[in-house]
Amino acid sequence: MHERLSFHIKRDSFIHNLNPLTKLVLTLTLILIAFTFPWYWTPHLLVLVAIIPLSLLGKVFREFSVTALRLILPAAGFLFLMQAFFQPVGSDVIFKFYFLDVTQESLMFAFRNAMRVFVMVSAFTLFLVTTHPSELMSDLTRRGLPGQFSYVIISTLQILPQIIAKSQTIIAAQRSRGLDTESSFFKRAGSLIPLVGPLVFGSLMEVEERAIAIEARGFTSKQTKTSLHEIPDPSFDQMLRWVLVALIILSIALNLWLS
Amino acid sequence: MAFVNLQNVTYKYPLTKAPVLQNVNLQVDEGEFVSIVGPNGAGKSTLCYALAGFVPHFFKGEISGSIEVDGKESSKSTLDEWVLNVGLAFQNPFNQISGAKYTVFEEIAFGLENIGVPREEMKSRVEDAMALTGIRDLADRSPYSLSGGQQQRVALTSILVMRPKLLVLDEPTSQMDPIGTREVFGTIRKMAEEGMTVVLVEHKMEWIAKFADRVIALKDGSVLLEGKPNEVLTSDLLVENGFGISRYTSTAREAKKQGIWKKESLPVTLDEAAEGFTK
Ligand SMILES: Nc1ncnc2c1ncn2[C@@H]1O[C@H](COP(=O)(O)OP(=O)(O)OP(=O)(O)O)[C@@H](O)[C@H]1O
Ligand SMILES: [Mg+2]
Repeated sequence: MHERLSFHIKRDSFIHNLNPLTKLVLTLTLILIAFTFPWYWTPHLLVLVAIIPLSLLGKVFREFSVTALRLILPAAGFLFLMQAFFQPVGSDVIFKFYFLDVTQESLMFAFRNAMRVFVMVSAFTLFLVTTHPSELMSDLTRRGLPGQFSYVIISTLQILPQIIAKSQTIIAAQRSRGLDTESSFFKRAGSLIPLVGPLVFGSLMEVEERAIAIEARGFTSKQTKTSLHEIPDPSFDQMLRWVLVALIILSIALNLWLS
Repeated sequence: MAFVNLQNVTYKYPLTKAPVLQNVNLQVDEGEFVSIVGPNGAGKSTLCYALAGFVPHFFKGEISGSIEVDGKESSKSTLDEWVLNVGLAFQNPFNQISGAKYTVFEEIAFGLENIGVPREEMKSRVEDAMALTGIRDLADRSPYSLSGGQQQRVALTSILVMRPKLLVLDEPTSQMDPIGTREVFGTIRKMAEEGMTVVLVEHKMEWIAKFADRVIALKDGSVLLEGKPNEVLTSDLLVENGFGISRYTSTAREAKKQGIWKKESLPVTLDEAAEGFTK
C-alpha cells in the first residue's frame, strides 16, 4: 500500500508547537516581504535571518537542506539563467553569448527574482514539514472555514496515493491483456485510453459510496462540529500574528510609497 | 407498535425500469436481531439504504409506502436527522474510510466530531467502542494501512460509536476470517441484548442460525419467507428460488432423500449436523 501524501515530519519543536494559523501567517509574511519590501537585498537577507534559523528552530534543518539543495536551488538556478539571458534590460553588457547579451541589470534582476522564488518555496516547505495537515484543517474549521472545504483538501491528500496505486493495478491488468506501455510516446498515450474507463467509472462509484459513508456519520449535521484534538492558540501566538500582519502592511505600504 | 415498521414499500431507482423493492412489509421489535438473506440483486442493499434513509433521500427515485423507525416517518425527516437514529455500515470497507483522518482513533471519532460531541466524552466513547470490537491495538495505525477485515472492523466501530438505535449492516464481515466473523457476530449479538435493534444482511447462514432472532428471505424485491432462523434457512422454498444454503443443510437434504438423515428438521450449523448424523 502506498504512503499517504504528506510532507509532515513529526518533531517536538518550538515551530511544531506554534498554532497552525500562526505558521500560515508567518509563511505568508516571509513571501510577501520578499516580494514587496523595497530594498534589493531583502530576499537574500531573509534566507539568512529567517529561513535558515527557522529550519533550525523547527529541528528540520537536515531534511530542509536536502530538499533545498536537490529541488529548490536547481529550480531557482534555472529561473536565474532564464532571466539573466532573456531579460532585455540595461545597456551595460558584461558578456555576450552568441546573440544573447548579459547585462549588469539583467544579472541583478535575475538574482533577486531567483532568491524571491527560493524564499517562497522554502517558506512553504518549512510550513508543510512542520504542520500536520489535519491540525491545520481542524484549526481553520474551528475558525469558520466550511467543513466541506477542509474535507476536500485532506481527503485529496489521502486518497490521491490510493488512486495512483489503483491506476497501477489497472495498468498491470491491462498490460497482462496486451496493453502496450513501452513503445513510443504517442502510441502509449493512445493505448492508455482503456485505462480511463475503469479509473473514472470506478472512482465515481467510490465517490458515491464514500459520500454515503460520511453522510451516515453525520457529515452534514447542522450541529456545531467539535474536534478530537485540542489545538492550542495561546496569547503569544495571537500577538505574533498581529506583529506579522503589521510587518506585511508596512512592507506593502513602503513599496507603494516609494514607487 | 414495532420499532421498525415498513408498510408496502415499493421503490424504483431513477435508472431502473422495474421496482427494486416491491410491497415490502417488515416489522422489527426493539432489541431484535433480524437477518436478511437473498440472492444477488434481490434488493438487500437497497432495503438497507431504505432503512438508513438513503433511499429516497440520497438516491431519489420513486418511492411509495411508509418507512417508520422509532415512531418517526422517514419521508418527513431529513437525512442528517435520520442518521442520528439509524447507523449504516456496508460491505466495501475501503470506501467507508472517511479519508479525512490519519489514525484509526481519529477515524472513529470523525462521526462524533460531526455531531458535536464534547471532547472528553468523545474520547471515552471511542475507547469503549474500540474495546467492544477488539481493535484497541489499531488505534494509532493509518486506516489505509489495515487489512480488509481490519478495515471492516473500523467501519463497524465508526458506526457503533455513534450509538444508533437501529443498526443496519450490509455484509459487514465479507472480508473477515471465521474467527473475526464469530467475534463480530458476538459483538452484534451483545449490542442487541443491550437494546440496539439490528438488521443484518449476510450470506453466512451458519452464523445467522447461531446469532439472529429472525430471518427474512428477500427475492426480487419482495419478502419470500420470514420466521425463525432454522425454519427459514432450511426451507425448500430457498433452494427452489436459487438461494445459497448452508453446506450442512444441503448435505443433510441429500442424506434425507436417501434415508440417512432421520430427523424431521434439517441442520444449518456444523453442530446441528453432527448431532443429527450421530443419532
Ligand atoms: N444506484 C443504483 N442505481 C440503479 N440501480 C441500482 C442501484 N443500486 C442497485 N441497483 C439495482 O437494484 C437491484 C437490487 O440491487 P441491490 O444492490 O439492492 O441487491 P443486493 O440484494 O444487495 O445484491 P448483492 O447480493 O449483490 O449485494 C439490482 O438489479 C441492481 O442492479
Ligand atoms: Mg448488496
